[in-house]
Formats: sequence, structure tokens, C-alpha cells
Amino acid sequence: MSPEELEAAIIAANTINLEVYYYWCTGFMILIHAGFMMYEMGASRVKHTLAAGTKNILAFAYMIPTFWMFGWWIYLAMTNGFIPDFEAGAGGVPWGESMGPNLMDNATGVFWGAFTLFACTTASIMSGAVIERIRMTAFIILAVLLGSVVWILAASWGWHYQGWLVTSWGYHDFGASGVVHIISGFFALGVLIHLGPRIGKFNADGSSNVIVGHSLPMTMVGLMFIVAGFFGFLAGCLIFPGTPISWSATQWANIYGMPTTLSTITFNTLMAVAGGMIGAYTKTRDPFWMMSGALCGVISVAAGMDLYYPGLTFIIAFAGGVTAPIIARFIESKGIDDPVGAVSVHGYCGILGLLFAGMFLGGYPQFSPDIPTITFMGQFKGAIVMVLLGFIPGFALAWALKKMGILRASDAIQAAGMDVELEAVAYPEDIKSI
Amino acid sequence: MFDSSPIESWEGASAIFSFGAGSGMTIFLFWLTVVLCIVPLYYTLKTENRHEDNHK
Repeated sequence: MSPEELEAAIIAANTINLEVYYYWCTGFMILIHAGFMMYEMGASRVKHTLAAGTKNILAFAYMIPTFWMFGWWIYLAMTNGFIPDFEAGAGGVPWGESMGPNLMDNATGVFWGAFTLFACTTASIMSGAVIERIRMTAFIILAVLLGSVVWILAASWGWHYQGWLVTSWGYHDFGASGVVHIISGFFALGVLIHLGPRIGKFNADGSSNVIVGHSLPMTMVGLMFIVAGFFGFLAGCLIFPGTPISWSATQWANIYGMPTTLSTITFNTLMAVAGGMIGAYTKTRDPFWMMSGALCGVISVAAGMDLYYPGLTFIIAFAGGVTAPIIARFIESKGIDDPVGAVSVHGYCGILGLLFAGMFLGGYPQFSPDIPTITFMGQFKGAIVMVLLGFIPGFALAWALKKMGILRASDAIQAAGMDVELEAVAYPEDIKSI
Repeated sequence: MFDSSPIESWEGASAIFSFGAGSGMTIFLFWLTVVLCIVPLYYTLKTENRHEDNHK
């Protein structure tokens, strides 16, 4: 075998390995969706259980074709802001050569799949916040806007090596604290303002009542599924080495081209899960928040977990786990009913993730000397962009749906249970609706 | 029946999907996919409205 043939064989083997790697990342990420579904069904009362599960599954089902129709194109074309680059976006046009079986392109399908599952995650984050009162049609429309437009626009700006947040401010968001979690958390907040609370959540004097879901064990198991899914999610944030589309022949890189390792992500994912759980449990002694603390921990470190020392990861995650329940209570005190704490867990902890990365990672060089180094101000400005990009579309579309009268189910439907619209019951025998 | 192959040989083949990239048929199928996503939403809305009316 000649050296040229050997090199070609190595590249071919690496290309197949890349394909296999992202294929299984995508499979693992489906666990996140399954986990959110269990989490939200458990957090719902019996009469709303199937509606919560069905919305999760339909979000998944709608995200896939819509992300194929326009999501991937947005990622490739919108790196400069709101003006599309049609040449860059050509590879994402759904009738183009790369958007289907192609023997010369082993990468587009698996990358598209992984990004589609990120989109599904954003919809799952919102779906928990709106349980027990949002109508199915409105939810699907909101989910498609969030997952197949807004999050991927944020990714094009801040999760693409040519995105303007990266090239202008050195924005660093390895594990998507901003582009997934701030976006989803604040989109959900915009929706919640128009959707209103569940019946019985708030009293006339403004005080609130605890509405207990029907299966905390199901919620806890669901959160462990999400933790397992994070291994696919965060591994999918790495770029595989040794192929023509890789940053390096010999080492993993983040999405910006900065070298890192899969071991780094293993250290910091596990330390973040542990820190967040212990932090939230320390603060609340509440099983629900203990498990949500795992999410708080990972989200609080996600932006910088490719570079953090594991001890620092644990401390940041602990801080996220301790403070998120406080933020959740504050949001509730303002009359916002967020049954799963999505705004605090994802929105607030996402902000923490970006700001902590700015505090602790200052001075790290980028892959290109033309790009600014990581700075606190760069992260701070990036966080503001993410908050606005998430909140405004959610607020505006929910307002429009409310004006059309299709956002919120009537009080009578809520009293009967959202499952009546499905003409099915979750537990036909023995368990009474509450 | 449809004779959808865009290639005549596997030698040097790249995009191999039925009807081939960028053809009128792929664009038609794309728009059909769009319609098949929107129409069920209309029926979902009708079902919701029926249940809302039944619970007034």
C-alpha cells in the first residue's frame, strides 16, 4: 500500500467513525426527550398526564420535518445576523444534494440529526412550563418556532465558528448554556406571561398554592434519563478529529475549533451533575429540586466545561443548584406559574453559565488570532442577546395566539382535564383524578 | 413504476436519493411534506374547538 493509499484509508476509517459517533450521540439524545416526557407527565395531575406526554411526542415529531425544511438552512445561512448568506446556506436547502442519501457526504445527515435533537430539547424545556393549560395546536406552533427557528438562529450566531457573536466578541458557549438553555427558558417566560397560571395556583391575595404532580417517582426517573441523555448532548458538542471536516487530525475540538478531549467532558459532566444535585438538595431538601439540581449544575457550567478544572465545575454547579430554587420562588412571587421551574433552571442557570465562563476563562486564545479572546464583557453581551432572542419571539407569538383565542384551554376543559381532548385516560382503573 | 434513479452507475455516484437533487419532483415532495405538517394542525384545532364547545 502506498503512503497515499494508506492516508486515504485512514481518512476513510475516520470518516466512518465520525458518522458512527454522531449517529449514537443522536440516539442518546433521544433519552433527553424521553426523560423530559416522564418528568413532565409525573409533574402533571392525573387528568392531564396524557396531554403532557402527547405534547412532548408531537413536539418531537414536528421538530424533525420542520428542522429538515428550514432549520439546518438557518444554521448555515444566518451567521451574520438577520441577513441570510444564500451561498453559505446552499448546503442546507432541503432539495439539495447534501440533504439526503449521498455517498460523498457522510457528515451532513448525522450533524443534521444531532442538531434536530437539540431542537427537540428546546421544545421539551418549554413544554414543562406550560403543562395543564396550553392548547395542543398553540403548543405545536410555539414549539416549531422555538426549535426550528429561534434556537438554531441563536446557534448560527453563537455556536458556529463564523457566527457574529463569536467573531465580534469571542463568545464562548461550549455546551449551549446560552444557545439552548437561555433561549428556551426565556422563550418559555414570554409564553407564560400570556398563558397565565393553572387554575387554583394563585389566591386572590396573590399568595400561591402548591399543585402536586401525580407521580414524583416518574419525575425523578425522567430526570435520570435526562442526565444519561446529557452524555449524548455534550459529546455531540465536540468535533471528531482526523477527517477532512475536522479541526485537527489528532485531537478533538469544540465547535469553535479550540482543542479539548472527551475525557474533559466526562470529568465535568459528572462533577456538574453531582454539584448541582447536592447544591439543590442542600437548599431545599426537596426530591424534585434535588433532581432538577442536576440540570442546574450542568447548565451552569455548560458554556465553559471544555476548559474548567473539575473542582471549579463542582463549585459552579453547586452555586447553580443552590440559587435556582430561589429564582424560581421569585418568579412565582411575580404571578408567573412555571410548574417545573424551567425559567430558573434553564434561563437563569444558562445566564450563570455564560457569565461564569466569562469570569473564569478570560484570556484563553481562540483557534484564530483574529477572533477576540474570551472576556466577561463578551459573555455578558452574549447573554443579553440570548435573553432578548429567546424572550421576544415567545412573547410575540404567544400574544398573537392569545388574540386568536387558541392559546389557553378554557377553564371547563382544564377542570375536566386536558386529557379529555385526547378522548383517553392515563390510568383507567383505581387511580382517581385529583 | 416511477423510474426515480438519478444515477446510471455506482461509479463516482454522490447524491443517490430517489428523483435526484433539485429536480422538480424533489421540490414537489418537499411542498407535499409541508402540507402534510400543516393539515393535521388544522384538524387538531378543529378537535380542540369541538371539545371546547362541548364543555361550555
